[in-house]
Amino acid sequence: MSAEWAWLLAVIPACAFIVLALFGRSLPRQGDWLGVLTVTSILGLLIAIFTKTFGAKLPMLNAVEWTSIGDFSLSHGIAIDWITLIMLPVIIIVALMVNIFSIGYMRGEPRYSWYFAVLQLFVASMLLLVLADNLLLLYIAWELVGVCSFLLIGFYWEKRSAVEAAKKAFITTRVGDVGLLIGIILLWKATGTFNIHELISYVEHGELGGTTLFVSMLFIFLGAMGKSAQLPFHVWLPDAMEGPTPVSALIHAATMVVAGVYLVARLLPMFEAAGGMMLIITLVGLATAIYSGIVAFAQTDIKKVLAYSTVSQLGFMFVALGVGGIGAGMFHLFTHAFFKALLFLGAGSVILGTHHHQEMRNLGGLLRKMPITGITFAIGSLALMGLFPLAGFWSKETILSAVDYGPGSWAFILISIASIMTAFYTVRLFLRTFTGEPQDAAVAEKTHESSLIMTGPLIVLAIFSVFAGFFIFTDFSKAFGLPGGISELIYLHYPKHFSVHWDLVGYSMALVVIGTFFGVWFYWRGSTERSTKLAEWQPAIYHMIQRKFFFDELYQFVINRIILGISYVVSWFDRYVVNDTGVDGSGELTKYSGFVLKHLQTGKVPNYALAIVVGIIMLSLITLVLRG
Amino acid sequence: MIPLENYLVLSGILFSLGVYGVLSRRNAVLVLMSVELMLNAVSINFIAFSAYLDVTQITGVIFAIFVVAVAAAEIGLALAIVLRIFRNRSSINIDEAAELKW
Amino acid sequence: MITEILWWFFAIAIVGTAAGVVFSRSVVHAAIFLILSLAGVGGLYIFLTVEFVALVQFLIYGGAVTVLILLALMMTRLDATGAPDKLTGPQAPFGALVGITLLLTLVGVSLATAWPGDVDDLPTNITIEQIGDVMFTSYGAPFIIASALLLVAFIGAIVFAKQEDEV
Repeated sequence: MSAEWAWLLAVIPACAFIVLALFGRSLPRQGDWLGVLTVTSILGLLIAIFTKTFGAKLPMLNAVEWTSIGDFSLSHGIAIDWITLIMLPVIIIVALMVNIFSIGYMRGEPRYSWYFAVLQLFVASMLLLVLADNLLLLYIAWELVGVCSFLLIGFYWEKRSAVEAAKKAFITTRVGDVGLLIGIILLWKATGTFNIHELISYVEHGELGGTTLFVSMLFIFLGAMGKSAQLPFHVWLPDAMEGPTPVSALIHAATMVVAGVYLVARLLPMFEAAGGMMLIITLVGLATAIYSGIVAFAQTDIKKVLAYSTVSQLGFMFVALGVGGIGAGMFHLFTHAFFKALLFLGAGSVILGTHHHQEMRNLGGLLRKMPITGITFAIGSLALMGLFPLAGFWSKETILSAVDYGPGSWAFILISIASIMTAFYTVRLFLRTFTGEPQDAAVAEKTHESSLIMTGPLIVLAIFSVFAGFFIFTDFSKAFGLPGGISELIYLHYPKHFSVHWDLVGYSMALVVIGTFFGVWFYWRGSTERSTKLAEWQPAIYHMIQRKFFFDELYQFVINRIILGISYVVSWFDRYVVNDTGVDGSGELTKYSGFVLKHLQTGKVPNYALAIVVGIIMLSLITLVLRG
Repeated sequence: MIPLENYLVLSGILFSLGVYGVLSRRNAVLVLMSVELMLNAVSINFIAFSAYLDVTQITGVIFAIFVVAVAAAEIGLALAIVLRIFRNRSSINIDEAAELKW
Repeated sequence: MITEILWWFFAIAIVGTAAGVVFSRSVVHAAIFLILSLAGVGGLYIFLTVEFVALVQFLIYGGAVTVLILLALMMTRLDATGAPDKLTGPQAPFGALVGITLLLTLVGVSLATAWPGDVDDLPTNITIEQIGDVMFTSYGAPFIIASALLLVAFIGAIVFAKQEDEV
C-alpha cells in the first residue's frame, strides 16, 4: 500500500454512496453502519499512506493519461504533498466523528439512509478535491462537494426555509464557481496545461505572469471566496444552518468551506506572483473576519453564532495566506476543523437534548443537565478563543507572527481586534447557553444528556482540540508521520522554524483576556441585562448588526430590480425574436414555400418529359456557348 | 457522293420529330412510337459515324445492334404496362394518370 | 448518281412518314406510318454498307415491334360508342417549340463541326464477318448481359400483361 493507491481514498466512499443510494433502505439499520465502516477503512488506508510518506520526497505524483486529441492531452492523477497531508486527516477524522454522531442525531429521521449516502458522496468528492493534481479534476470535485452541500442543506425539503437556503447556497457559490472556471480556462489558454505543479513551475520560471496571471488568479480567487464564504459571498453560510447539524459540522465548518483556503494555499506561489493579489486576499480576509465577528455579537441562534464564527475564522486563514503565511493558514485550517466540528456537534447535542431548541433565549443553565456536552463545548470554546495551550492558541499564534511580517501594522491591529471579537462572542455563546438559570422552564424540564454514540465523538474531538496544536512542533508531528511538520513552512519565501516567542504569547493571551473580560462582564451567569441596556442605548446600530448590515436585503433588491429586469428583456427577446421569428419563422417559411411549390408537381408524365428535354437543350446550349 | 452531314441532319430531323411526338401526344402507344423514332435517329447517327470515321473498330454498329435489343425489351415491357393501365383505368391517356403526387 | 437520287428518295420518305407518325389523327395510321418509317431507316442502313443491321432492322422493328404495337392498339381500343379521345395534348405548342429549338441546335452542330478525316465518301465496306468478329471478341460480356436483359423483360412483360385473376 503506497501513494499509488491513494485514489482508493476517494473511490471507496464513492462505492459506498452507490450502494447506499441504491440499496440503503433494504440494508439492516438502513446502512448507517456502512458509512462508519467506509470512513474507518479509509482511515486505515490513510495511516498506511502516512507510513509511506514518512520521510519520503514530496510531492508524490501519480497520473494517467485520460484523453489525447491532437496536441492536446489531458491526464488526471493524484498528487500528495504536505498540504494534502494536512487536509486528509482533517477530512477523514471529522467525517468519521460526524458519521458516528449522526447515527444518534438522525435516528428516526425520514430518508435516513439517503442522508448517509450523500455523506459518503461528500467524503469521496472532498478527498478527490484535495488529491487532484490538476485544476480540471479539482473543479469537478469542487462542483461535486457543492452538490452535496446543496443536497444536505435542503435535506429537510418539506421546510420552505431549508429549500430557500439550499438554493441560496447553490446560487451564491455558483457565482464564485463560474469565476473559478473562467480562471482555470484562462490559465489553460495561456499555458496549455491544467496540472497544478506545471502551472506553478511556469510561474516560477517567469513564463506566465503579468496581466494574464493577475486576471486568472482574480477569477480563481472569486471561486475561493464563494466556497469559503468570504465577503461579499458570505450570505449563504449562515443560512446553510438549515441542514442537519452534523452536516454543518462536517461541510460548513470543517471541510467544504475550507476548500477555498486549500485552493489559495495550493496556488499560493501563483497568487504571490500575480501583482496585488496577496493584498486583495489579505483585505478580503480582514474585512470578513471583522464583519462576521461583529455580526456574531447579535445572533441569538447558537448555530448562527457558530456559522458567523466560522466565516470569521476563514477570514483569519485568508489573512494568513495573504501575508504569505501558507503554513499558518493551513495550520489554522487544521486546528479549526477539530474545534469547530466539536462546537457544531455540541450544538447538535444541545438541540437534540432540548428537543429542537436552538435559540439562546430559550436555553441557559444546560451545564448541569448535559455535563459531557457542556464540558466538551467549553473545551471547544476555549480552543476557538485561543487559550494557551489549546489547539486554537498555536494556530492563532502562527497567524499573528505571520501578520507581524506582513504588510504593515494596520493589518496586525485589525487581526488583533478580530481576535478579541472571537473571544467575546465565544464567551457570550457559552455563558448564555450553559450557565445561569434556565430561561424556559418547560425546555429545561425535558432536557437530557445525549447518548454515548453522540458524546463519544464529542470527547474524541475535544481531545483533538486540546492536542492538535502541538503538531506545530516538529518532533510531535514527526511522531505522527507529518514530515518536517508544519512549522518549517510558516512563511512562503523564508521557511522559518517555529519557535515560541514569549512576548507574542503574552500579547495573544492579553487579547483573549480582554475579549473574555468583556464577555464575562456582559453575560455573567447568562444574564443579558447589561447587553440589553447597550442595545437600547444605540438601537439603530444594534438593529444594523442584528440584520447583518443589510446584505440580504441588498442582494434581494439587486436580484428583484436589476437582474429580473434584465431577465425580462432577455426572455422577451428569446421568446419573440429567437423563438417565434427565428425558430418558428424558418419552419413556417419552409412549410409555406413547400405548400406553394408543390403545385409545380403536376403528376403528369408529359410535363416531366418537357422539363427534361428543356433542361437538356439548355445544358447543351450552355456547353456550346462556353466552348465557343 | 453522300457526305456524313446528310446522315446527321436526317437523324436530327427524325430525333426532333420524335421529341415533338413524346411531348405532345396523349395516347401512351403513340408516345412509345415516338420513342422508337428517337431510337432510330440515334441508331442512324451511330452507324453513320461508325461507317465514316471508325471502320476498323465499328463500335457504332455494335452499339446500334444493342440499341435494337434494348428497344425490343423496352417496347415489350412498356406495352405490357400500358395494357395493365388500360385494364385499371379504361384509358391510356398518360396525362390522366396523375395520382402519384403530393 | 443513281445512288444519290435513291438516297434522297429514302431520306424524304423517312422524314415524311415520321411526320405522319407524330401528326396523324388516327392511331392506326400512325402505326402504319411507323412501319414505313422504320423500313426506310433499314433501307438507309444499306447505303451505309451494314446490310446485317438493315436485316435486323427489318426483322425486329418492321416485324416484331410493329406487330406488338398493333396488338396493343387493338387491345386498348375503346367501345365504338364512346367519342374518340384527342390524340394530341395541350402541351403540343410547347412540344413544337422545343422540337424546333432542338432541330436547329442539332443541325447547327452537325454542320458547324469540322469532322476529322474524309467524310465525303465511305472509305470501305463493313462486312458481316467484321461485325461478328468484333461482337464476339470485344463485346462478349455485353452480348450475354443483353440476352439476360431480354429474358427479364420477357418474363416481366408476361407478368404485367396477365389477367389479375390468373395470377
